[in-house]
Amino acid sequence: MTQRNRLATNEVDLVAVSVAGAVAHPGFPGLPAEPYRLATDGTPFLLPTYGGIVYNVSVGERAFGWAADCIHPGVSIRQADDNQNRGLNIFACVGNRARVMTGGAAGTLGVVTGKSGRFSEQVIVHIPREDRTRMTVGDDVLIRAEGVGLTLTNHPDVSLKGISPELLAALPAQEEEGHVAFGVAAQVPAHLVGAGLGLTSEGGSLHMQSTDRELLAELGLDRLRLGDLVALEDTDSRYNHGYLRGARAIGVVASTDGPRSGYGPGIAILMTAPAGQLGSFESPDTNLVQLLGLED
Amino acid sequence: MDKGLRWNFDELVEMAVTGKVSQPALRRGGYVHRPDGVGEVLPGMYGITYNARVGDRAFGWAGDHVEPGVSIAHVEERADYALHYLTCIGNEAEVQTGLARGAKGVVTGEHARLLVDFAPEMLEGLTIGDTIQIRSLGRGLRLESHPGIEFKKTSPSLARALDLRSDGGRVSCPVAMELPPRIMGSGAELNSEFVDQDLMSGDRPLMAELGIDRMRLGDLVGIRDVDHRFGRSYRKGWVAVCLCIHGDSVMTGHGPGILTLMTGPAELLDFHLDPDANIAHTLGIRNMA
Repeated sequence: MTQRNRLATNEVDLVAVSVAGAVAHPGFPGLPAEPYRLATDGTPFLLPTYGGIVYNVSVGERAFGWAADCIHPGVSIRQADDNQNRGLNIFACVGNRARVMTGGAAGTLGVVTGKSGRFSEQVIVHIPREDRTRMTVGDDVLIRAEGVGLTLTNHPDVSLKGISPELLAALPAQEEEGHVAFGVAAQVPAHLVGAGLGLTSEGGSLHMQSTDRELLAELGLDRLRLGDLVALEDTDSRYNHGYLRGARAIGVVASTDGPRSGYGPGIAILMTAPAGQLGSFESPDTNLVQLLGLED
Repeated sequence: MDKGLRWNFDELVEMAVTGKVSQPALRRGGYVHRPDGVGEVLPGMYGITYNARVGDRAFGWAGDHVEPGVSIAHVEERADYALHYLTCIGNEAEVQTGLARGAKGVVTGEHARLLVDFAPEMLEGLTIGDTIQIRSLGRGLRLESHPGIEFKKTSPSLARALDLRSDGGRVSCPVAMELPPRIMGSGAELNSEFVDQDLMSGDRPLMAELGIDRMRLGDLVGIRDVDHRFGRSYRKGWVAVCLCIHGDSVMTGHGPGILTLMTGPAELLDFHLDPDANIAHTLGIRNMA
């Protein structure tokens, strides 16, 4: 794990609670069982999408270029009951410790690396690659949920969202009076923020847009990796996600790109501030693999 | 109508779809949250809205997502999707039951419910649960002279009323205002055949600076650098022309509802400003003098 920053928090006041989910099975809509989704130009496509145990895509790898639609790296879990699933999705924080409780990989430790939003609503857990091969769909994964309620003592205008105290402490940070900035791999302009706008910022995710491939290449955003920290410009994520000049949101790339309009890589938002209290600076290798010491 | 425009009106099939006047419903708790988190309980969605009508202001109501006129839905899910996907803006509606039976209205929007305008005196006879039938017409509409432009939810009556101008290969639509793509928000997660995408009004000074806070329900609006064919996303060199269907919201990422009517590459589709570009005026719903 990288050097801890020295930002003051209320970490000692946090309550750690258990939340659990079962490894989700990939799903398709019912009869007539239309298997296609439509790409941004209307072309039908049939590709793997979110859910399940993903063997060959892990945090740290590229977010673009997979033959897939918004794949979650590692293992995705959820609760069958929507209210309980909401509890899982909100209380689980990126960086929290997870543990496989049943099946062939029982006892294996993992780490929460992201979440997904409307229409999938799963929590994404990194489990070492080899251990994934011993798991089965339906296995229970328990998370020690800790982070909801976390605040930065000297920066009360920065709202923290679903970030564990360990991850917060591991982020590259620069602090000044009334302002705190974090290192990010990339900055996303407001006009490339997509699906998730107007939806809840407690849990879930906010996708960047990837329809305009030339623009992504120009901005270098097509080189993003899963687990990269990114800043969204002019984005207020305090209560829902939306446009506001001077606001900023910082999150982690949680799922891969996809062909659908509005659904580029999904970003689990970790913090936000409305009026310049939160900044970001270039720090190319700021990725969960290094920050949390994820084991391949 | 511009002689350079050729439509496929004679190919379109006209079908009846129905919905019932909806009863307002709230989530448990009832709050909607402002950007600073403060909760409010506000009316606006569902039901019969007596005092907000297409042509009225979109901003400044003590309401949230105000749906002008009468909001109707079908109780059966699949039939409700047919109501959503077959109905087009400008379609004729008629009350089938109750004291207002026989009253004629016009479809002015599609939100989570279909929005139908009736003359204010007709609203007095309507009750929750009354059946309203729509003669849906417009799905499959094409501008044969300009096949590169895609139309959504545009009835022939709206197509005629838009006052499109053709200049060689390019068509231009009058719009009341232009919106920047960076403020297009909630609805980005949906397909663009379904309902609308809210403009994000959370930056209040920006709304005033750009004059967006003067938007009216029923205004045509233009957006550059967006592709609304299959979903709604940023794409340089594409254009969408849309319709304001519901009022502003206090919630982050929300605001007046912007429903896609047409989209295409900028070399084929353009828009020009005209303060009268509002369907209350162009469809003859209200005298907007």
